[in-house]
Amino acid sequence: MNSLTASAAIATGRVQLANVRQSALVTARLRALWIMLLFIFATLTACVRIAQLGLFERTPERASLAEALLPSRGEITDRNGVALARAFASYSLWFNPKALGEGGAPLVKTAEEVARALVGIFPDADYADLVARLKAGKPCYLRRRVLPEDANKVFALGEPALEFPREEQRFYPQGSLAAHVLGFVDEAGKGHVGMEQVLEPRLLDPVHRGTPTALSIDARAQGALEDELGRGMMETNAKGAAGLILDADSGEVIALASLPSFNPNRSDLAYNDLVFNRVSNQVYELGSTFKPITIASAIDAGVVTDLAVRYPATPLQIGRFTIHDSHNFGASLNVPEALIHSSNVVTAQVADKLGPVALKRTMEQLGMNERPTIELPARGFPLWPRGGGEGGKGDWARLTTMTVSYGHGIAVTPLHLAAAYAALVNGGIWRPATLYKVDPAHLPPGRRVFQASTSARLRQLLRMIVADGTGRKADAAGFRVGGKTGSAEKPGSGGYRKTSLIATFAAAFPMDKPRYVVIVMLDEPQATQQTSGQRTAAWNAAPIVGRLVPRIGPMLGVVPDAHHDVDISDLSPLVSSGEGE
Amino acid sequence: MMVSAHRFRSIGWIALLLVCAALVMVLAFRVNALRSQVHRTELQIVALRKEKLYLETEVETRANQQQLKLWNDVEFGYVAPTAGQYLANERQLAAFAKPDGPDTPAPIRVASADDAVAAEAAFPSVISDLAAVADISAPVARSDEDEDKPAARPADAAERAKATANLGARLAMVTSLKKDSKDSKDGKAKSDKASLAKSGKTAKDDAERSGKGAKLTAGKADNKPGKPAAAKSDKPAKTAKPAPKPAAKGSKSAP
Repeated sequence: MNSLTASAAIATGRVQLANVRQSALVTARLRALWIMLLFIFATLTACVRIAQLGLFERTPERASLAEALLPSRGEITDRNGVALARAFASYSLWFNPKALGEGGAPLVKTAEEVARALVGIFPDADYADLVARLKAGKPCYLRRRVLPEDANKVFALGEPALEFPREEQRFYPQGSLAAHVLGFVDEAGKGHVGMEQVLEPRLLDPVHRGTPTALSIDARAQGALEDELGRGMMETNAKGAAGLILDADSGEVIALASLPSFNPNRSDLAYNDLVFNRVSNQVYELGSTFKPITIASAIDAGVVTDLAVRYPATPLQIGRFTIHDSHNFGASLNVPEALIHSSNVVTAQVADKLGPVALKRTMEQLGMNERPTIELPARGFPLWPRGGGEGGKGDWARLTTMTVSYGHGIAVTPLHLAAAYAALVNGGIWRPATLYKVDPAHLPPGRRVFQASTSARLRQLLRMIVADGTGRKADAAGFRVGGKTGSAEKPGSGGYRKTSLIATFAAAFPMDKPRYVVIVMLDEPQATQQTSGQRTAAWNAAPIVGRLVPRIGPMLGVVPDAHHDVDISDLSPLVSSGEGE
Repeated sequence: MMVSAHRFRSIGWIALLLVCAALVMVLAFRVNALRSQVHRTELQIVALRKEKLYLETEVETRANQQQLKLWNDVEFGYVAPTAGQYLANERQLAAFAKPDGPDTPAPIRVASADDAVAAEAAFPSVISDLAAVADISAPVARSDEDEDKPAARPADAAERAKATANLGARLAMVTSLKKDSKDSKDGKAKSDKASLAKSGKTAKDDAERSGKGAKLTAGKADNKPGKPAAAKSDKPAKTAKPAPKPAAKGSKSAP
């Protein structure tokens, strides 16, 4: 039993041993297999990674670079690439009452002292408001936009609670220059008034906002225009002024100014009356500046064929209404004389001969019956004289035709006038005004309003007005300026007001090949010493053009030349000297 | 023996694995290092571009049209050029040379000191600048030209005065001066070295600065070989102006 048991036990022990050996072998082999698999896997991984790194790895985060430099809002430049509006991280002045720790006074000095120092740095700041904000102990902006040097001065006050976070804001490096063209961006980042509003989708589009948008404006010409307009406005104590420089051939607006202006950098202050654009939004009766248009229409229609024909210049009675001239110019005047002296009577007679249909058609072709064509959102609708018939759409009455001929009874924006003068001098093609830079090879299609010969004749006449007539003060030496004055009384309650004038000078230069149209307008200029006690355009608006043209001409590629001028020898004998408006 | 061979192979495998792993790690580290370097560089680029834009904007703001106008009103008083300042074509230019008329008196000529003296006083300063620049910019061309025209160098003051009489001769003078300036520059450099050795490291910057100045003043001084040192000391050393070409070219036309 025992031996049997023992042998059985030995036998099972042997079997067990064999089993153990077997299983150990299997385990070892399995482990070896695992390790081999691990080796193969690791090697493969390494190979794949090497291949991946060597072959497919891209330069890291290339896209992020462009993204980091993409402005939050696209840049707007002038036609020469000068930045007019830019997204810019500028300093703000932030009051952080917890900068000195919780509890205790937020400021080192008293609030009054700090406020006084701040007013010393920012003279336009409100002392009482600053004291109130500093005392309130709530974190708030004290000022949105701070110049680095002012920030340094504030820093020197040694108040840790006054912080200067740099925030991406809309910045206009040129200050109030071309403010009405650009508009402004409010604190919510929305564009208002000018091209900021018009271009908003493009300026915010990630695809386009990396590249600056070029406007047709020339910053230098714009600066000169605003400067001269401002000077003219100051000299005449005028309420406001408007000015426009238009490329006569392409319709590009080179400069557009409406004064008084606003500062788009202070968007918090920009909501006010100054935002109103006198050039494109306000309509005026522009007076005598319409006379060349009437004469051109008459020459074009064949009504005026002989410029030597004389018309009576005595006051003209039409029904109950009498058309006067500003002075007595003698018994009769011919057309060149009528323009030089700015005679309402003769122009009215020419218009009478021309008839309402032709004059109205010319005015319509010049776009005087619709809002001005420009990209700006604020565009004024003209006061278009009512005709007879249904809805006032019929022909004008005889008196209406006559008053429209010298710019009364029709109110348009200075922009309308500029586009009309461009057509008058550029060979007769009317083109819409634009604020975008136009490629000279792809000019927008215009419409022919006057024949080229009419335009050539008008160039002579306009040059004569400046050389011998009411526009003499605009005669910048060598620039062959031509133009027409216009001094219209403003309508008030109970008829026209004798002392409230709109003085306009519509000019173009150089008259032998007109490149630019310049419109200068003063709103209610006063008679001052600088204007020799006069308030008409010949004494206030014309001198502005006379000073402006020599400043902008060379920059815009017009070289002054004293030996070069329009040939007016065929018209000179028709004109006797005399004084006009 | 068998076991040791087996173990040896295993160790070999492990070693190979470790080497592979190490290589992969090294590679991965290097790639990551390079990548973060690129990233840092990109960040630097972004920061610098922003800084550039910031400075650009600041300059534009400070120099905006209104500010320029104010400065012009107060400081400069520049006005737009008038018609008389433009010439439309060659014909207008030629019109200036036209004799006034058949019976006009001859132009009045004022008696004065020797022209050459005036020329000597007027021209050397200009020429020395050009010479100094030419010296820096075109050393090879200069040495060739010097060898070609060694006789062009004026020997004394009389010859000098004669040489200033026409443009070609003046430019020839440039040639000679350049050689002189080179010589003296070498001399000066030597003296600089000496001073450097003397005064040690602290004087290094000063020596370099004076060496730079000396290069230019040397060119200037050599215009007046016969003159005392006091005469040149009243003209301070100017920085070189970037207009080397005409001087280098002009010297070829020397007689």
